[in-house]
Amino acid sequence: MHFYESSIITTKDGLHCQVYGNEHPDKGILIKPKYIPTNKIECEALQCRFLSGKKMNRLNLWAEKNGLANYLEKFKKAYPQYIYQSEVHDKDRLFFWAPKEHIERVYFPREGLAELMSMPEDALDEHLAVVYKFVNFLLESGLRLKDFGITYSTLMGHYIYNMSDINLVVYGKENFWKLMEYMERAEHPSLRWKDEKEWLEFYKKRNRYNIFEKNTFLNHMISRKKSEGYFDNLLFVIFAAEKEEEVWFKWGQEKYSSIGMATVEGTVTDHHSSVVRPGCYTIGESKLIDSDQDIDVEKVVFYSRDYTLLAYTDEKIQARGILEKVEPKDGKPYHRIVTGYFDSYITDRREEEFIKVI
Amino acid sequence: MAHFYESTLIDTVDGFQCKSYANEHPEGFVIVKPKYIPKETISGEGLKYRFLFEKCFVRFNQFAAKDKLKGYVKQFREKFPDYVYDSDLHKNWFYVVPIDKIKTVHDCRKGLQELLSVPKKDLDEYLTLVRELVDFLVQSGIKVEDIGITHSTLLGNYTMGKSDMDLLIYGKDNGWKVLEFLKTAKHHLLKWKSDEEWAEYYKDHKTSESSHFTEEEYVKHMVRKKYEGLFGGTVFTLFTVEEKDETWFKWGEAEYEPVGLATINAEVIDHYNSHVRPGYYEVKDAVLVEGDHETPNIDEAIPIKRIVTYSIPFVQQALKGEEIKACGLLELVKPKNGPQYYRIVVGYFDAYLNERREKEFIKAEI
Repeated sequence: MHFYESSIITTKDGLHCQVYGNEHPDKGILIKPKYIPTNKIECEALQCRFLSGKKMNRLNLWAEKNGLANYLEKFKKAYPQYIYQSEVHDKDRLFFWAPKEHIERVYFPREGLAELMSMPEDALDEHLAVVYKFVNFLLESGLRLKDFGITYSTLMGHYIYNMSDINLVVYGKENFWKLMEYMERAEHPSLRWKDEKEWLEFYKKRNRYNIFEKNTFLNHMISRKKSEGYFDNLLFVIFAAEKEEEVWFKWGQEKYSSIGMATVEGTVTDHHSSVVRPGCYTIGESKLIDSDQDIDVEKVVFYSRDYTLLAYTDEKIQARGILEKVEPKDGKPYHRIVTGYFDSYITDRREEEFIKVI
Repeated sequence: MAHFYESTLIDTVDGFQCKSYANEHPEGFVIVKPKYIPKETISGEGLKYRFLFEKCFVRFNQFAAKDKLKGYVKQFREKFPDYVYDSDLHKNWFYVVPIDKIKTVHDCRKGLQELLSVPKKDLDEYLTLVRELVDFLVQSGIKVEDIGITHSTLLGNYTMGKSDMDLLIYGKDNGWKVLEFLKTAKHHLLKWKSDEEWAEYYKDHKTSESSHFTEEEYVKHMVRKKYEGLFGGTVFTLFTVEEKDETWFKWGEAEYEPVGLATINAEVIDHYNSHVRPGYYEVKDAVLVEGDHETPNIDEAIPIKRIVTYSIPFVQQALKGEEIKACGLLELVKPKNGPQYYRIVVGYFDAYLNERREKEFIKAEI
């Protein structure tokens, strides 16, 4: 079933969730719980926020690992309804979902932005005025207003001016790439890109020093990530969401069996789907570099947005993650490497997994 | 009759956000003021818009240009008749939320308890200030459980530097205790507007309420009220709400016969209920005086005993022993048990749609 990534779902028991992917099982929506009320379970390793009259824990997958692991164990017991046991993945794979009957409300980024842009300008506060101006700037790319959405705190209304990011969604991979081309050449007095210092802060926060040499990281980010920057000094992040007709896989049409951790090298043959979640680089001439197995890996898949816009066709990449055998309902089996399953964040895989251009 | 705390936010199944507007309500309904109404349901020409929770809302403002407001309310009544309650007891109407239209009630008391349980390190500047204010108010002797938060402070859609900190005090005794405390209490973050600042405010914020006051009168009235001040540079507002066992009237125990617009002079003999909504001043020796209206005929044998206000600017306006002047709707009150009396009511919803909006006031002779 198709449901757009980055929409926000509130559940009947007060969780705020972010839709996590564009393809979902039939009876629910895959999510990442973003804010979780503390009335049932609580975690000191996670930051708190006061939202909707409630003390909430903010689920941060980069929090101290033992604390996070304990919390997720408690979560599974307190909220078993939000744990999805996938029929097409190994039982160890952790997915969160919101079964339809537990959904209180869906906040749609596209509808939200359309409402926002219909507001008289003088009714906008400082944060919303920047969003309004930024969207008008992006519309010069040739995309239409309905190709965009606004999400997270701006959509929900609990943003803090000068602290909250502007999180935009672009509907359609084609549209996203078109926008990135525009961003490559666009100029605006309010637009600036993250500098080295700002990218390095991110690098430290995500423990990227274990994976990347600093200058390599900076090269990757500064030259390629035109989806993140500042507009009137507010951080913006632009996400892509796949349209129904362009998803690169359909939920339930393939079965995935884990073989174990592996590192692969290969040459990117298609990077078109590397802008969505889960994203995918199709590779050729692959070689497992830490294994004697003669396995041809066709895809490198990632759930973390950190790996979007990282590599282009004809570039050589190296990736470490879970090696899976994929058995499509129709078609030949193949292999793929996956980084960033939720369960990876509470194991050594959090620090081990990566994708990089070599 | 039913008790439901005043100033509590209610989301309705039709997507409105409302604020309860009294502590006593007709059975099956909550008297409210609609606060935000989705623009998609009624266009809000002449009213302001706000982007909240994914939607563009019309901010319902009873002081908007009257012709625009009338048009808006007309559409509202046609489109959402369930949200208007015609009270046979009052021969008047109220905005309400029928109980079966309530989607969420935002519990102000529980909200504050949740906020206080958030580690200080995780609070932003605004919420840190709210917390410090609560810590300070508790020094008045009330319990922290007697305080609540409401409006954007509760819902989290506040803007630091712009949004007020809106607090509820549960219980009338507690309300007075806090207000007394604030008369003399010191805190390095606490600041009251000086006479000069109120005078400046008077000049900059001309309202229909303030138009009945000279600058000097306005300053005198405002400077002694302690329900609104500045804490850390942010405005705070305190609303006292009545507990179930202390509401000053019970819905259904009297009928109210509208007589007409009237102005009276009287002496306040009790101001205890003047810090809640609706609030009232018990008066004696009330006489009808000339006003900017025809003077209604009344039965001289029946006393005018109360001046009631739904309007927050007229709460805590006069104290026991003070002479008071008020203009509002004169009603003959017919209690089920007890003798009849008259009262003046200021700030019924219908007043904002007619000439009474500009004419009603309550003023102490100070």
